[in-house]
Amino acid sequence: MPRDIGAEVHALLPLPPAFLHILIALGDGERHGYGIMQNVSERTAGRIRMSPGTLYGSIKRMLADGLIEELTAGAAGADERRRFYRLTRFGRRVAAAEAERLSSLLAQARGSGLVPRKS
Amino acid sequence: MPLLSERLYRVLLRCYPGEFRDEYEREMLLAFRDRLAADRRAGRGAIARLWWQLVVDAIVRAPGEHLDVLRQDVRYALRSLLRARVFAFTAIATLAIGVGANTAIFSLLHAVVLRPLPFDPEGRVVRIWAINSTLDVDGFSVSLPDYVSWKERSKTLDLAAWLNGGATLRGTGDPVRVPSLSTTAGLFPLLGVHAARGRLFTPADETVNGRPVALITEGLWRAQFGGNPQIVGSTVTIGERPHEIIGVVPEGSVPQDAEVFVPLRIDVAREDRSDHTAQVIGRVRPGATLDQARGELESIARQLALEFPDSNRNWGVTFSTAYEWMIPEGTRRALYVLLASVCCVLLIACANVASLMLARTAARRREIAVRVAIGAARRRIVRQVLTESLVLTAFGGVAGVLLAWWSVPVIRQWLPDTLPRVNESSVNAPVLLFSLGLCAVTGVIFATLPALSGSRADVVEWLKEGARGSSGAAARWRQTLAAAQIAIATVLLVGAGLLIQSLHRLQRVELGFNPANITTAMIGLTPERYKGPEASWAFYQRLLERLAAAPGVQAAALTNGAPFDEGNTGMPIEAVGPSRLNGKSLQADWRMVSPGYFKALQIPLLRGQGFTGTLARDERTMIVSATMAKRIWGDENVLGREITAGPAGNFTIVGVVGDVRNEDLALPPAPTMYISSAQYQWSTMTVIVRSIGAETQAPSLLRTAVREIDPQLALYNVRTTIDRLDRSAAQPRLNATLVGLFAAVAALLAALGIYGVLAYLVSLRQQEIGIRMALGAGRPAVVGLILSRGLWLTASGVGAGIVAALGVSRWLRSLMFEVSPTDPRTIGLAVALVVLVAVVASYAPARRATRVDPLLALRSQ
Repeated sequence: MPRDIGAEVHALLPLPPAFLHILIALGDGERHGYGIMQNVSERTAGRIRMSPGTLYGSIKRMLADGLIEELTAGAAGADERRRFYRLTRFGRRVAAAEAERLSSLLAQARGSGLVPRKS
Repeated sequence: MPLLSERLYRVLLRCYPGEFRDEYEREMLLAFRDRLAADRRAGRGAIARLWWQLVVDAIVRAPGEHLDVLRQDVRYALRSLLRARVFAFTAIATLAIGVGANTAIFSLLHAVVLRPLPFDPEGRVVRIWAINSTLDVDGFSVSLPDYVSWKERSKTLDLAAWLNGGATLRGTGDPVRVPSLSTTAGLFPLLGVHAARGRLFTPADETVNGRPVALITEGLWRAQFGGNPQIVGSTVTIGERPHEIIGVVPEGSVPQDAEVFVPLRIDVAREDRSDHTAQVIGRVRPGATLDQARGELESIARQLALEFPDSNRNWGVTFSTAYEWMIPEGTRRALYVLLASVCCVLLIACANVASLMLARTAARRREIAVRVAIGAARRRIVRQVLTESLVLTAFGGVAGVLLAWWSVPVIRQWLPDTLPRVNESSVNAPVLLFSLGLCAVTGVIFATLPALSGSRADVVEWLKEGARGSSGAAARWRQTLAAAQIAIATVLLVGAGLLIQSLHRLQRVELGFNPANITTAMIGLTPERYKGPEASWAFYQRLLERLAAAPGVQAAALTNGAPFDEGNTGMPIEAVGPSRLNGKSLQADWRMVSPGYFKALQIPLLRGQGFTGTLARDERTMIVSATMAKRIWGDENVLGREITAGPAGNFTIVGVVGDVRNEDLALPPAPTMYISSAQYQWSTMTVIVRSIGAETQAPSLLRTAVREIDPQLALYNVRTTIDRLDRSAAQPRLNATLVGLFAAVAALLAALGIYGVLAYLVSLRQQEIGIRMALGAGRPAVVGLILSRGLWLTASGVGAGIVAALGVSRWLRSLMFEVSPTDPRTIGLAVALVVLVAVVASYAPARRATRVDPLLALRSQ
């Protein structure tokens, strides 16, 4: 039976905020756990600081859903002590679909005057 | 410093499930270390915020992770049970029967025994009886003047008294006879009864010669008065007098068989202090204890004995709580015995399921070994076994509760109505709680062994052996379980045997009369219509003549109390002249009977003569039972001797009749004396008819005869004596039937256990059997090999079972009759039955062993 990727993607939406943050953090390459935490913190100017529990709880689920994958030892280069993660192709599609969903939501909010239009 | 925070964080991480920690603990610690270092630079606020986050994580996230693991386990368990449908169905059905039977029996126990009385949750209501140790009288009615004295003098008790009786209601169609109570006004508030309509009695209603008033129950109001809303204030004729109905009381609010209540009006001046007629109930006042109340009443009784020595010498008081009174010890014990036996059935069921699971674990060793080898934690394997049992228990429990929910109303209908409160039984919240606890215990019991055996998985060995390894430990455990099942089944069979044996003896006890084809009915004459004993005796004589002449009637007689009609009359007597009593009193039962009484009941006249039925010749004469004659005068001739029966005066013995059990099958016949009903009658008497064939015609015959003589009279309590006997043996029959049923189920389950173990053994030892057969062992030898293993298991189980049964059966003693708890015949029979069942169960696997093909068995090596 052929997989219906589209349906699988949409079954995961909307994503929990932590998932989306992790997907974004991994968007430009692999990172280890603390690297993801740092990236999220930097991108949000320190407003969102993930705890290890939230991070690894999410990673566990995202691995199970096939959104991310763990790099095999050695592939990540210098720091062999740590486990590195990167986006899967499926994860990329899900992130894109979620971004699409949010942007369409944003457009609708603008349309109804809830959010000022960009000048 | 970093060491301390890291250690702290490690402690917090313990909140997460093991699997999660195995996977991520190291990573989380690394991340924590980095984050802590960064936050240190940011200041104390950041560190505080970090710890806050970590604690919230542990509280909010960790349970979620646990749930996740559980969900996975349950899903896995469901999948693997779906693959093993036969196993799953067998296990669930076994558990459902065990849990269902337990839930059903517990719902009875809860309704009858465990619930406090609605009117007395604190156990402060007491029944008070008169007692006389010199007369050997216990739990006797109280004289009304004594009741009045107690009430006046007691400071610790609120007291109320009543007389049981019957009332004929007229004015609403055919006259109806209903049970009634003459009661003091205090009874209702004492029992916490509120009027459903109108009002209850007040002390003003108790005044002698007061206006005739009555209360009726809601049931009677509906049945007899069509639920007329204007009932209060209306008039009904009770006996011959019109009474005003002043109120309606809720059904069942007074724990007595009564539908009409009239005020008890006590004229102390005219009452006889030695006439024990009243029932007394009391509520201990706030601030006083039960013991204080008892002490006070005992001292009042001693005062009364000094003040009124003629009537009160040697009379004391005895208490029982309302609960003990309403739910007798025998009933309580019987229900506990039933629950214990049904628990045994559940235990055997648990052992069966455990055995099945052990076999399953053993068969899945390769799968388990592979999973351990590819990294599944052992605790995960153990938990999987536990989850599987949890799922089985959940299904079994739900099915069991449904089974109980469906069966309790059915069982209720089938139970004897002598069980108090049993109609209120249902599968309610406390019962469900019990079932939940039961399921939890059940799950733990049958899951422990398989889980332990799974946890000891020796991966390398198991992988080497493959699925068909020897798995000695599991097999040994299964054999132990089978032996334990045999032991429990033996205990149940011995118990059931003892109870069945008791019932059998009880039903074959020498009654002293022939109950077959006897119908009895009560009839009440009112003094207004039948003035004096002559008038009423004339009526009864006419009735008896008419009945005796009716087709199909062999004999008819009259008495104040037929055998087994749940009432008794007795009094102390003394012998005139020299006797074995040496001047002491003897408590004897007495009955007023018509001349045909002995013939109708087929009680043998041993010496002397019967009554004549004419006052002139029967006056002051008495017939006594053989036991009574012997107790007073030994083997001497008793005809012509005299006894004194209290205020009734002296009587001359004219005859001796055989002993009769009148009240209780389990009690020896009491000394009994008979006086002629030509001398005395009560306002309510019992008519006895012996039919020639079936007794089905008797009721209509009786009704017709009474109506023809006086259409104003009501006939009630029409029953066959066989019915009454059945009723008196109802509880022992229930015990024997249910325990017998449980024992049968237990034996069946134990047989399944033996069968399963041996069948498994045969499949494990195929190679060995094959070799033996190849080396020339014949079929009998192979059958013997397996049978002997089965018998060895049975023997060890039976041995343990007998020891346990000897310990337990003493506990049954009060439920047994004329059977010793160690009766060798019963124990022998139970053992024989167990062995028979075990042999039958062992034979099928033994036969299968003989069909092992030596070539195939050896080739599979």
